[in-house]
Amino acid sequence: MTAQIAIVGAGPSGCYLAQALLKAQPDLQVDVIDKLPVPYGLVRYGVAPDHQGTKGVIRQFARLFERQGARFIGNLAVNEQISLDDLRAAYDAVVLAAGLPGDRSLGIPGEDLAGVHASGQLTQAINEHPEAADLPRLGKHPVIMGNGNVAIDLLRLLAKTPEELEGSDAGPGVSAWLAASGIESLQIIGRSQAGQAKFDPVMVKELGKLAGVTIRVEGAGDSDDPEAAKKLAALAVIDGHGTGRRLVTFRFGLTPVALEGRDRVETAVFRTADGGEERISCTAFLTAIGFRAEGALERDALVAGAEDAEGGKLDDGLYATGWFRRGPRGTIPENRADAQALAKTILAEIPAEGSGKPGRAILEGLPDLVSYEGWQRIDAAETAAAPEGRCRVKISTRARMLALSKASEELR
Amino acid sequence: MNITLLYGTETGNAEMLAEDIQSELESGHEVDCQNLEDFDPGDFDRDAFYLLVCSTYGDGELPASAQPFAEAMAAAAPDLSGVHFAIFGLGDSEYDETFNQGSGKLAELLVSYGATQLGERIVHDASGDDLAEDLAFPWAEAAVAIAAEKLSEAA
Ligand SMILES: Cc1cc2nc3c(=O)[nH]c(=O)nc-3n(C[C@H](O)[C@H](O)[C@H](O)COP(=O)(O)OP(=O)(O)OC[C@H]3O[C@@H](n4cnc5c(N)ncnc54)[C@H](O)[C@@H]3O)c2cc1C
Ligand SMILES: Cc1cc2nc3c(=O)[nH]c(=O)nc-3n(C[C@H](O)[C@H](O)[C@H](O)COP(=O)(O)O)c2cc1C
Repeated sequence: MTAQIAIVGAGPSGCYLAQALLKAQPDLQVDVIDKLPVPYGLVRYGVAPDHQGTKGVIRQFARLFERQGARFIGNLAVNEQISLDDLRAAYDAVVLAAGLPGDRSLGIPGEDLAGVHASGQLTQAINEHPEAADLPRLGKHPVIMGNGNVAIDLLRLLAKTPEELEGSDAGPGVSAWLAASGIESLQIIGRSQAGQAKFDPVMVKELGKLAGVTIRVEGAGDSDDPEAAKKLAALAVIDGHGTGRRLVTFRFGLTPVALEGRDRVETAVFRTADGGEERISCTAFLTAIGFRAEGALERDALVAGAEDAEGGKLDDGLYATGWFRRGPRGTIPENRADAQALAKTILAEIPAEGSGKPGRAILEGLPDLVSYEGWQRIDAAETAAAPEGRCRVKISTRARMLALSKASEELR
Repeated sequence: MNITLLYGTETGNAEMLAEDIQSELESGHEVDCQNLEDFDPGDFDRDAFYLLVCSTYGDGELPASAQPFAEAMAAAAPDLSGVHFAIFGLGDSEYDETFNQGSGKLAELLVSYGATQLGERIVHDASGDDLAEDLAFPWAEAAVAIAAEKLSEAA
C-alpha cells in the first residue's frame, strides 16, 4: 500500500504540489480534484488570452498526469457533490488548493448600479469560464478602478485592436465584443500614489506596444524608494505614447466614495489626496481590487482555526496551499515555492505506506466525473477548432465539455 | 563524457527541459542534472562539460533558482579557466526589451570567471511556435559534439 493524497483544485498550486509530491515519492497515489470538467484553474481562466507564453506551464502540468501518475478527477465540487469530511475519511491527506474566486467589493453606495462590474466576473467572461456572466456593455468611457496586474490586463485587452489579439485564445464572442466596443477613453485609477501601485513595471511597459491608443499619465510624482522608482520609470516610458484614437489615462491618489446614476452608473465620486472631491463621468465602472473567499469550502473559518496557517497545516491530515492558503496575492511562481514547501511538510507527516484508507474508491459511482482522458478530448476539440489567428477556441459550457469528454468512450 | 546539466528556473519550465535533455543524452553519456541553487561554484570540474538551461524573470533578471548561485559565485570568485559550457535560454518575447537576458547574464557571469562558452547561446520564445525541446535537443547534441573535440584536445 501507498499513501493516498487528494488535492482539491487543479490550478497551478494544486498541480505544483502534486508535481513536488510525486517527484519526491513516485509511488504515491495523488488525485487532483476540480469542480470544473477541465484542469488548470486561473492559468486557463485568469491569465490573459493574449499572454500565451505564461500559459506554457500547462505543458509541465500535462506531464504530471501523463507521466508522473497523478489522476485528474474533474467535475467534482468538494462540499457540494462530496463532503470534505468524507474526503478526509478516505484519504491519508487532503489538501485544499481551491483558490479564492470571489470578488472583493468596494463597500460604497451605488455599487449595485448597472454598469459596475468586478474583475473576477469580467475576466471569467473574457476567458469563457463555464459559470461566467454575460459580457457586459461598457459604453464609450469605461473607468477601471485598481492598480494591480489584473487591472492592467483589463486595460490592455480593452485597448487592443482586433489585429493585436492575433495568436491569442480569445474566442469569437469575446473578439467580437472587443472589436465592437466603441471605447473612446479608458481611465485607470489608483487609490494610492503611483509609486505604491501594485502592478509590475513590465506590465506597464508592455502598454507601450499598443497601436490604437494615446497614453497619458497624470500626477505620478517621484520617489527615492527604489521599488517605487521602477514603477515611476515604467509610467514615464509610456506617458505620451502613441497617437491612436483611444485615450488611455492613468490617475492616482483617488479613493472612490460613491457611484451615482439613474439606471446605470454615470458618475464616480472620489476623495482626492488632499481631502477634496472629484467627480468623473463614466459609462461603466470596472473594479479590479482583489479577491476573497467564496463558495462551499468555508475557507475563512478553516484558516482561522488552523493549527499552523503559515505552514499550510489546517488540521490533522488537512492542508492548504496557493491562494487558498495565502490569500489572493502572488503570481504563478510563488505558488510553486509554496507547494514545494508544503510537499516537504506532508511527506514528513504522513506514513509513506499509507494507512489503508479506501482513497478514490469512495468516488466510484459519482455521476459525470471527468478523467484526464476526458480533458484530453476536450483539449483536442478546442485546438482542432481554432480559427485563423487563434491558438484554440474554448468550449464554454459544462454540458458541451461533458458531452465531449465522454464522446469517444461511447464510440469505442 | 561526463555531462552536468544545470538549470535556473522560476516556474519549472527550465527544470522540465533539463530533465528531458538528460533523458536524450543518457544513452551515450554520464549525465547529471542539478538545480543551480543546489550547485556550489567550487564544484566545477574541468573534465566535465556543463549544459546550462536558464529562464529570465522580472525585468531581464536571473530566475529565482539562479540567484543564490550568482551570489555564491560572487562570494567564492572561483577560477573557472578550463571549464567549458554551453547555454540555452528560456524567455518570452512579450518582454521584448529584456528578451532572454537571464541566460545572457548567466553566460557572462561564467565567462567573467574564466569559463569558456562553446557554441552559440540558443534561446526559446514562449510566445513563439517552437517547442523548447525541438530547439534544445539539436543544441545539446551539437554542443556535446563540440565539447567532445575540445575536451579531447585538452586531454
Ligand atoms: C485575472 C487574473 C490574471 C492573472 N494573471 C497572471 C499572470 O499573467 N501571471 C501570473 O504569474 N499570475 C497571474 N495571476 C495569478 C495566478 O493566477 C494565481 O497566482 C494562481 O492561479 C493561484 O493558483 P491556485 O491554484 O491557488 O488557484 P486557482 O488558479 O484559482 O485554482 C483553484 C482551482 O480550484 C478549483 N476549485 C475551487 N473550489 C473547488 C471545490 N469546492 N471543489 C473542487 N475544486 C474547486 C477551481 O475550479 C480552480 O480550478 C492572475 C490572476 C488573476 C485573477
Ligand atoms: C513575471 C515574469 C517576468 C518575466 N520576465 C521575462 C523577461 O524579462 N524576459 C524574458 O525573455 N522572459 C521573461 N519571462 C518569461 C519566462 O522566462 C518564460 O516564461 C520561461 O519559459 C520561464 O521558465 P521557467 O519556468 O524555467 O522559469 C517572464 C515571465 C514572468 C512570469
